[in-house]
Amino acid sequence: MSQPPLHRTSLHAAHQAAGAKLVPFAGWEMPLDYGSILEESRTVRQACGLFDVSHMGRFWFHGPKVAEELDRALGGAIVDQPVGKARYTVLLTEQGTFLDDLLTYRVAEDRFFMVVNASNREQDFAVLRQRIQNSDMEDRTLDGGGILALQGPDSRRQLALLNGGNEDFCPAFLDLAWLQTPEFGELFIARTGYTGEHGYEIFANPEQMTAVWQRLMQAGVAPVGLGARDVLRLEAGMPLYGHEIDPQTHPFEAGLRFAIKGWKTREFVGGEALRAMPEAQRRLIGLTAEKRVPRQGYPLLCNGREVGQVCSGAWSATLDKPIATAYLEQGVEGPLTVSARGREFPVEQVDLPFVPHRSRN
Amino acid sequence: MRPADRSYLESHEWARLDGDVVTVGITDFAVEQLGELVYLDLPDEGRKLDKGEVFGEVESVKAVSDLLAPVAGEVVEVHSSLADELEDLQQDPMEKGWLLKIRVADGQSALAGLLDAAAYEGLVAEEH
Repeated sequence: MSQPPLHRTSLHAAHQAAGAKLVPFAGWEMPLDYGSILEESRTVRQACGLFDVSHMGRFWFHGPKVAEELDRALGGAIVDQPVGKARYTVLLTEQGTFLDDLLTYRVAEDRFFMVVNASNREQDFAVLRQRIQNSDMEDRTLDGGGILALQGPDSRRQLALLNGGNEDFCPAFLDLAWLQTPEFGELFIARTGYTGEHGYEIFANPEQMTAVWQRLMQAGVAPVGLGARDVLRLEAGMPLYGHEIDPQTHPFEAGLRFAIKGWKTREFVGGEALRAMPEAQRRLIGLTAEKRVPRQGYPLLCNGREVGQVCSGAWSATLDKPIATAYLEQGVEGPLTVSARGREFPVEQVDLPFVPHRSRN
Repeated sequence: MRPADRSYLESHEWARLDGDVVTVGITDFAVEQLGELVYLDLPDEGRKLDKGEVFGEVESVKAVSDLLAPVAGEVVEVHSSLADELEDLQQDPMEKGWLLKIRVADGQSALAGLLDAAAYEGLVAEEH
């Protein structure tokens, strides 16, 4: 069976040189790790790391009515999104279930930038094209530019390296900024990320990609792969499409009410279904275990009865034990176990996130 | 080249015969593919295994993998301390990280049909 060739980011050679284990992911060849998923995870929590996440879809929208159109097309309010701010929201079906989660960045009154999951990029674009009739939209994911995520408590100091050492520059959480740098020209940056740490995402154009990456590598910033990214986002209790959210789940059970701002009154695709929805029968919870990692699809049991299913599992580098998310039926009381390929082991229910967010610090 | 004193499985276990006892482990290639190990499950002594039967699991940060018996026989020794010393398995799976010993009915024919070191080397080269 022949597969279409995998996309490569413009940093492919740099990843190889840095010793990356490159794996197919959502149609891209991406770094899974540069030697150690756990070590890279700890580096981001304790210092700072740099991720190439150029596989993520990058859409641009433009038009006099673009905010109103996006407001109707997406789960969360967009009309009241301030210029210069990012917002997390979701793309829903008519039934109010998830097609994707995403970030919208309002770069001007009549202009938005959007970042979507690589695995859903083409479908998202097609759905949005149908829902948005009167604005221009463009998928620029394959233009050779990309997204560099600089994440961790030291990221502010490291970002200053791109700006001639000037540490005064520090946009607030979810702020966008256009940083005028002596070395790279204007850098489009947002104080966003997928780790729960203080961090930035740099939306580099094709000319900036390699230069910015190399500059940060030379400064000793550690490259971090998608393996650690998954650990970090799970520790931070952040959902991943295909795990916590999919077309069979909805925002209430996923704990994502904040992503559908204004849902009670706004007119948007999925809104009617959400307003008519009965109370959720299950909800997303956190689990910890002693030794074994509860993994996606493993049944969650209470006194021998299946009461839910694991969405994501990982070895938490920060807590040094297995963590997982699962959907649990409402009203279940009693000790929980997970069945791993026919063998049960105990798990403990805990609050999400596993590791408190420091992204606003 | 990996040691020629033993045989190999396509599923990356190794088997070394000594009299009528076969020592079983997983290869350094298997460990490299798995990445950082977090859990190991081995059977109890006395368990009877068929050739190809799942006798345990090894789990890494990334994945869970079945362990397959290269030979049929009775488990006569289990490296049970290894589960708490996973660094031995991580760093030296071909020697210090052995998993268990199986007594076979007939030492002469026990390893028939398994890969020799050269054949396994070819397999690894393909998967790399």
